Amino acid sequence: MLWTITCRRLKRDRRGISNIIVIALSLVIILAIVSNIIMWNYEMNQVDWEKMKENIIITNVERVTGSQFTFENDGSLTVHLVSLWIINSTDHQRYDISVFVNSAETKNYLRDDISLPTGSYTVKVVTERGNTAVYSGS
Amino acid sequence: MIKLSRNRRGITPVLSSLLLTVIAVAGMSIAITATYVITDGLHESMGERLIVEDVWFTTGQVSLYLRNVGKVSIKVAAVYVNRTDQSFTSLELEQDKHGWLTVTYGWSADSAYEIKVVTRRGTNVVDYYVSPS
Repeated sequence: MLWTITCRRLKRDRRGISNIIVIALSLVIILAIVSNIIMWNYEMNQVDWEKMKENIIITNVERVTGSQFTFENDGSLTVHLVSLWIINSTDHQRYDISVFVNSAETKNYLRDDISLPTGSYTVKVVTERGNTAVYSGS
Repeated sequence: MIKLSRNRRGITPVLSSLLLTVIAVAGMSIAITATYVITDGLHESMGERLIVEDVWFTTGQVSLYLRNVGKVSIKVAAVYVNRTDQSFTSLELEQDKHGWLTVTYGWSADSAYEIKVVTRRGTNVVDYYVSPS
């Protein structure tokens, strides 16, 4: 009964309807902006969180036919290694690599085309998420 | 047609409704465009991530190898060595791309330098690097 009366009154009296429409549309726009920002912020936080959880170590570097590198993943996420650097006092050489190391796994990586320099050197690997592991040898 | 041209009653409400519709549509378009612009700008600045893979001190230069690990492309806008603006080669990196950024700087042996790389959107990476002896 009350509902019917209210409906009738609303049908007759249309003053203020435009205000309600404007407020509703504004709310929709604000909601769209806020939800968009929150979603993106959440995604980027996830990226930073994953980067923080990565922990890769170079445990050994050996001269074989070429060079052999041993990587150990001490983190809880699978690591994707994308860059390998061989650095000494005269040269900074970068190699593109694509090595996946599972969590708690130790992996040997052999490269025939890389020869380690004589004297002291530094080996550096960079992960796809932006972390770095360094090994010093001679 | 003749009847319509003779009888002009009711034209004004039609015109006013039409005009209001046009204004409402234009207003909504502006609001949606503004929403897109605001969120897009925020997306881009929030999605920037940059790392320095390597720093190489050569004669009269400091070269930095940068990698874009973010979600948007980046462009280096400024490089500061010990808080002083330095000239550098232009560098723009798409997502997951990497490259050398060469900074012209006369460095001294065995000294620590604070190097700061700033992108066009204001993201910065800063760290200390020691030159070779």
